[in-house]
Amino acid sequence: MEDLGEIHQLIVPLFGHEMTFNLEPIIQTWIVIIGLLVFGYLATRKKSLVPGPIQTLGEVFINQFYELTADTLDKELTRKYAPLITALFMFLLLCNWLGVLPYLGEPTSDLNTTLSLGIMGFVISHYAGIRKKGLKKYLKGYCEPLFFMLPLNLVGELAKVISISFRLFGNIMGGDIIVIVVTYLVFSLVLPPFLTGFFFIFIGAIQAFVFTMLTLVYIAVQVN
Amino acid sequence: MTFDIDIWIQVAAFTGGGLAMGFGAIGAAIGEGFTASEANIAISRNPQMSGDIFKGMLVGQAIAESAAIFALVVAMLLLFTNFSGQSVVAVCVILAAGLSMGLGAVGSGIGSGFPAGEACAGISRQPAMSNQLTTNMLIGSAVCQTPSIFALVISFILLFSDFSGMPVAPTWAAILGAGFAAGFGAIGSGLGGGLVAQTSCEGMARQPTSASTVTNIMLLGQAVTQTTAIYGLLVAFILLFKGFAPSESLGAAMALMGAGVCMGLGAIGPGIGEGATARSAVRWIARNQEATPELTRIMLVGQAVSESTGIYSLVVALVLIFVI
Repeated sequence: MEDLGEIHQLIVPLFGHEMTFNLEPIIQTWIVIIGLLVFGYLATRKKSLVPGPIQTLGEVFINQFYELTADTLDKELTRKYAPLITALFMFLLLCNWLGVLPYLGEPTSDLNTTLSLGIMGFVISHYAGIRKKGLKKYLKGYCEPLFFMLPLNLVGELAKVISISFRLFGNIMGGDIIVIVVTYLVFSLVLPPFLTGFFFIFIGAIQAFVFTMLTLVYIAVQVN
Repeated sequence: MTFDIDIWIQVAAFTGGGLAMGFGAIGAAIGEGFTASEANIAISRNPQMSGDIFKGMLVGQAIAESAAIFALVVAMLLLFTNFSGQSVVAVCVILAAGLSMGLGAVGSGIGSGFPAGEACAGISRQPAMSNQLTTNMLIGSAVCQTPSIFALVISFILLFSDFSGMPVAPTWAAILGAGFAAGFGAIGSGLGGGLVAQTSCEGMARQPTSASTVTNIMLLGQAVTQTTAIYGLLVAFILLFKGFAPSESLGAAMALMGAGVCMGLGAIGPGIGEGATARSAVRWIARNQEATPELTRIMLVGQAVSESTGIYSLVVALVLIFVI
């Protein structure tokens, strides 16, 4: 219980400032990245018309998310953004499920991870909007329905980043805290596996999907 | 009778525990009652399915109860933890933890009753969809619980963090404010998310081919509905972790508490409103699938407009914290 909220940090002095690295999320993120790379290698190693089990799994991911993207964006943009959406979901899913393994936690229970993914989605959606509509029409979008709504629209855009990243962070960290506290209260008897199943596997999968869908919708809102 | 600090802390722990479980019991009971009433209607319509409907009702009620169980956990912690030997701030910490969890459980409890009830009605209407309806109900109810999980996180952080190093004068108000922000902020979003999940179960039963579309749009609508609860969580985090300079003036303290109350109450309306918007969108997407892109867009725009009052509250709360 005492180590609740404790973070191992590496502080590097740099030109009078201090750079702080949260070591655990970095290591965990690298584990996820390596896991995904290995999965990608195994899925495409022996490509065949009759796919093996790993290739099938890869195809399921790609098909599902291409279809989902095609429902929201037009054909050209789907080709461009569907890989991003698929990769984002697979990354988040593995991140959220990593806490099931002993000695590992979810990188997404660190606000820095979710906030950087949120900012990434924000930048990509606005880039897509500018590319599609042109700068003038894009800027005009902020003055709708009337010009004095400008500050509100700006706050609304920033609020999107906050809401998307805090939603994932709050859910995953909340699940962590609940599992730790309840495990402590019941002396690790009976309940912990069920709680882990519910909060890590189930909520983790749903929140990964919600985050991916919202990123996709933010892109679609900017483009249309 | 003399009052020293340990007595005050004990008073706060008992009051806080009572508030947590008292408020926490409201929502789940209403939600579960709604589920049971819908299950009764469903069984009378289609008595052959009574076994499945009964199972669906029990599963749905179990999920709806989880918010009340969170409140029970917090109440038990408050009643049986030994808080003695702490500072004055602890009194506020304990009260705020109870309030946050108690209020936060109201919305999610009522909300998750709706999808469970509608899933029972759906099983009687469309028995072939019973498994998919149960899955959809579980997903919808689980997302409904998110606001109460946020409230639980805030009350656990309050209980397990050490605030003794902070100056007493404005910190007590900031802590109470954080409790109000997280607690009240969760009510609207929990209820609204339930409305969305309700019609997704209804739509799925009416039009089985629309199942995957309806689930996706439901998740989207619920996620947007939760935005104001997330503002509440954000304001609570800021109030807890910013660290305020000591000041004896009551004005500074009240500004911090006001920020929490403002964000908390301001989040209730948008949460319910956005839920109502998404509810209709999901209901009609199930009946008219060709119009999905159009309806989704209108839903998002409508939700954004109804959320603007929540953003006003957020702006006012941030002004109260950082400017005054």
